[in-house]
Amino acid sequence: MQITLDKRQIKVEEGKTILDICKERGIEIPTLCIFEGLKPEARCRLCLVELNGKLVTSCSTYPHEGCEVVTDSPLIKKHRMINAELLMADHIATCNMDPNSHDLCKIIEKIGLTRIRFDPIHKYKQDLSESVIRDDNKCINCGKCIRACGEIMDVHAIDFINRGHNEKVSPYSEHKLHDVACIKCGQCVHACPVGAIYEREHLYEVVQALKDKKKHVIVQTAPSVRVALGEEFGMPQGSIVTGKMVAALRKMGFDKVFDTNFGADLTIMEEGTEFLKRVKNGGPFPMITTCCPAWIKFMEHFEHKLFPNMSTCKSPHEMLGNLAKSYYADKVGLNKKDIVVVSIMPCTAKKFESTRPELKSDVDYVLTTRELAKLIRTYKIDMTKLKDEKFDDPLGESTGAALIFGATGGVMEAALRTAYELGTGKTLKDVDFMAARGTDGIKTGSVDLDGKTIKFAVASGGANIRKLLKEKDKYHFIEMMACPSGCIGGGGQPWPTNKAVIKKRMEAIYAGDKGFKLRKSHENPSIKKLYKEFLGEPGSERAHKLLHTHYHKRDRF
Amino acid sequence: MQILRKTELKAYKKAKKIGQKGVIEILSKKGLVGRGGAAFPTARKWQFAIDTKSDTKYVICNADEGEPGTFKDHLVLEKVPENVIEGIIIAAETIAAKQAYIYLRGEYEYLKPKIQKAISSVLKRSGSKVKIDIVVGAGAYVCGDETAIIKSIEGYRGQAYLKPPFPPVEGLWGKPTVINNVGTLANVPQAILFDDWDPHLRLFSLSGDVTKPGIYEFPMGVSLKKLIELGKPKNPVKAVYFGCFGGCMPYKEILLTPENVCGQNCVIGAGTIIVVDNTHSIVDMAETIAKFYAFESCGKCTPCREGSKRCLDLIAKIQSGKATKQDCDTLLDLALHIHETSLCGLGQTATNHLITALKYFREEFEQKCKLH
Repeated sequence: MQITLDKRQIKVEEGKTILDICKERGIEIPTLCIFEGLKPEARCRLCLVELNGKLVTSCSTYPHEGCEVVTDSPLIKKHRMINAELLMADHIATCNMDPNSHDLCKIIEKIGLTRIRFDPIHKYKQDLSESVIRDDNKCINCGKCIRACGEIMDVHAIDFINRGHNEKVSPYSEHKLHDVACIKCGQCVHACPVGAIYEREHLYEVVQALKDKKKHVIVQTAPSVRVALGEEFGMPQGSIVTGKMVAALRKMGFDKVFDTNFGADLTIMEEGTEFLKRVKNGGPFPMITTCCPAWIKFMEHFEHKLFPNMSTCKSPHEMLGNLAKSYYADKVGLNKKDIVVVSIMPCTAKKFESTRPELKSDVDYVLTTRELAKLIRTYKIDMTKLKDEKFDDPLGESTGAALIFGATGGVMEAALRTAYELGTGKTLKDVDFMAARGTDGIKTGSVDLDGKTIKFAVASGGANIRKLLKEKDKYHFIEMMACPSGCIGGGGQPWPTNKAVIKKRMEAIYAGDKGFKLRKSHENPSIKKLYKEFLGEPGSERAHKLLHTHYHKRDRF
Repeated sequence: MQILRKTELKAYKKAKKIGQKGVIEILSKKGLVGRGGAAFPTARKWQFAIDTKSDTKYVICNADEGEPGTFKDHLVLEKVPENVIEGIIIAAETIAAKQAYIYLRGEYEYLKPKIQKAISSVLKRSGSKVKIDIVVGAGAYVCGDETAIIKSIEGYRGQAYLKPPFPPVEGLWGKPTVINNVGTLANVPQAILFDDWDPHLRLFSLSGDVTKPGIYEFPMGVSLKKLIELGKPKNPVKAVYFGCFGGCMPYKEILLTPENVCGQNCVIGAGTIIVVDNTHSIVDMAETIAKFYAFESCGKCTPCREGSKRCLDLIAKIQSGKATKQDCDTLLDLALHIHETSLCGLGQTATNHLITALKYFREEFEQKCKLH
C-alpha cells in the first residue's frame, strides 16, 4: 500500500496502525495509553496526527491506500499541547517533574509545555498496602494498570469508578488495596506511565539497621536481580552484574552477602524430593510449585481446591532467611534477635510475603531491584567501576539450576534435573530442557522417569495461569509464575520492563547457567554439607519444620 | 401524524411474503434513513449484518433518548409501541437474529409495562419466534451511543469504544448487531406497508421559551420561523439551540435541512429545537449545558474527561465576574480542542454550544468579564 507520510511517498504493509508505521521509521509520536500486545483504547489522545487533514489518534487508525499522513504541524502541536496541559494540571501538584522517572514528564519535556492555565482540583488520599502504593493525585486515567491487572493478570483487583472528571482507579467499592483480592504482583507498577503506582519502600528501615552497630545485617539477592540491576546504571540490557552487586552491597556495610540461589538449590532438593514421594505414592497430582508469592496469593483467593496440590515448600528467600537465623546463627554464635535479613527481590509480592504471620518474619525487609539501585545511588557508589566480589559462605554457593529460577520454566527445569537423577539414579545426559524455556505464556513437555512418563507444564502471567488450570489434570508437575516471563518480568524490576528487555534478561540467565560447572542443585557442595551438618536428609522432620509452610483461604473479594 | 398510523402487523405479513431481499429492496427504494440523528440508510446497515456470517445475531432498539429537549421517541413508545415491536421483529427476521433488546432510557422506566404488554401481544398475534427483552439503562447520557449501549447490555461500564469494527460486523458479545433508533424502527413497518409513506417527514421536539411546546411533524426543509411561531413564543426570540449539543444560532429564517443548519455551524441531529428568548442570558445557557456535560462525560478520554470540568470552571469564573477576556479565549481554545480530539460522538459534539455561542454571542460573555 502506497501512502504519503510527512510529504514522502512510502510503501507500508496493511494491518499496521499509523503509530506502528511511524515507530518503525523513527518518527517519535507521544503516547501514554498504548499497551504492548493489547488492543489500543485511544484514551490519552496524545498521539494525534493528521490523516488527510483530519485529526486522528495514530494508535488506533489504519492508513488507507493513497492517504496523506502528517505527523507534525501547528494544528497537531496545538492540540497535543492542550491535551498535555489538561493531563498535567492535576498531575503536577504531586510530581517530582523528573523526565527520567516516567513517560508523562518525558513527553511534557519533548512537547515543550510552558504554561498550565488550570489549577489542580483533585485531592485524594494515597492507597497504601504492604507492597504496592497507589497515588491517585498523579493518576491520569490512562487505564493501563487496569488492563495489566485485568487482561494480563486476570485478577481484576482494580477498575475505574465514577464518571466524568470524578472517574478514578479504585479497587472494588472504594475498598483499599490490601482489603481486596490483589495479588501484589506489581504489574500495574510497570504499566503506569506517570509513576502513580509504586512499591512501598523499606529503604529507611534498612539504612537504620545498617547504622545500628548491634545488628548483624544479612542481605541476599534473587537470581533475576543480577541480570537486571545493571540497567539502572546505564549498562546494556542483559548484563550480568553479580560480582559488582556483591561488592556494592558489601561496601554499603552489609555484614554478610548471601545468595538466594542457595535457597533456590535447597528448594529444589525439598521440592524434588516431595515430587518423587508423590510419584511413589501416586499423587496428588499435579504438584504445583510455590516459589512465587503472587501466585500463592492468587491461589489463596481464587483456587481453594488446589491446596492439596501445592508443594509445601517455602519460597527460596524465606528458606534462606530461616537458615540464616538458625543454621548460620548457631554456627557463628549469634542471637537470632540480633540478625536482620534483607532480601533483594525483583518482586513486590515478596514484600507482602514477608509479613505473613506463618513465616514468622524470617525475612525482615524486602527491597526491590529498583530500591537497591536507589540505595546504591544514595551511598554514592559507582557500580560500574567496582571490582567483582564473591558471595559469603556458608549460604552463598549455588549452581546453574538456581540461576534459571529467574525465568519462567526455570524452576521446572531445575527440579527435573534433580528429580531425574535422584529418582532414577542415572546421570542426565542433556541438562537443557528446551521445552520449558522461552517467553511463551504456557509451555508443556514430558520426561521419562524410569519408564513412567512425567508430563509437566509451565505458565507465567495470571491469564495464562487461569488457562492452564482448566486442563491441569493432564499434568503431573506444574510451575506457576504470576508475572509474565517469570521474575525477570517482575513488578520490582527496573523501569522499563517490556518484552524486548525481558528477552535480553532471559538470554543472560541461560548464558549464565551455561557458564556454571555445577548445573544441578543436588551437586552443590554447600547444600550437601548443610544436610549433613544440620538438616539430615531432604524431607526430614527438621527440614519440614524449617523449610515448609501452609496456606490460608482468602475471600474472592 | 404519519408516525402514529398503525400498521396492525400487516407490514410483518407483507415482509414475510416478500422475504429478506424484498424488505431490503423496499426500504432502500423508499429511502428510509436512521432517525437517531446520523441519517444512515437503514437498508445498508441491515445489509452489512446480513453479509456478516454468524449463527447468532442481535437487534437492538435504541430507546435511550437522553438528549435534553428531545422527546420524540417517548411519543412513539407511548402511542404506537406495537409499530416499534413490529419493526423490531421485521428487522430481526430480515437479518436472521433470534434475540432482540430494547435499551430503554432509565428515566422512561415507567413505560416498561406498556412496552412489555405490546411485546407479548405482538409476538402472540404474529407468531414470530424472536425473543425481545427490555434492558433499562441506568441513566447515563453516553449510553445513547451505540457502542456504549453494547457495553452496557454486556454488563460493563457504559463507555463508547473504538470503531471499526462497526456493530453490524462485530457488536453485542462479538456478534453482528443492528442498532436502530425507536423512530427508525417505527417507520420500518410503515415504509413497507403504505404506498403513500413520506420519507421526508421528521418529528421536531420544540421546547424552551414557547407557550406551546411539543412534537411537530414536518418534512425536512420546513421553515424555522414557521415552526417557532407554531410554538407561540411570548417574548422576542433571541437564539435557537439544536438540543444541548447541536449548537446554537441567532434566530433568523432558515429552512431546516441538515446542510442549512450545518452552514450555521450547528447540527440538526434528532430534530430538537430549544427556543431562547431575550429574557435569558446565553451565558446561563452555556453554564447549564456545561454542567450537564461535565456530569455526563463518561471519563474515558482525556479531552472530554478533563476538558468538560475545565469548561464548567471557566464559565463559572465568567459568571462570577472575575474572568478576563483571555479566559474567553481559553474557553474557546478548550471547546475546539474537545470538539476536535474526543473519542466518541458525545465529546465531539459536547462543546458545539460553546463554539457557536462564542461565535454569535461573544459580547454576552465579554460583558461579564473584567475590563482589562
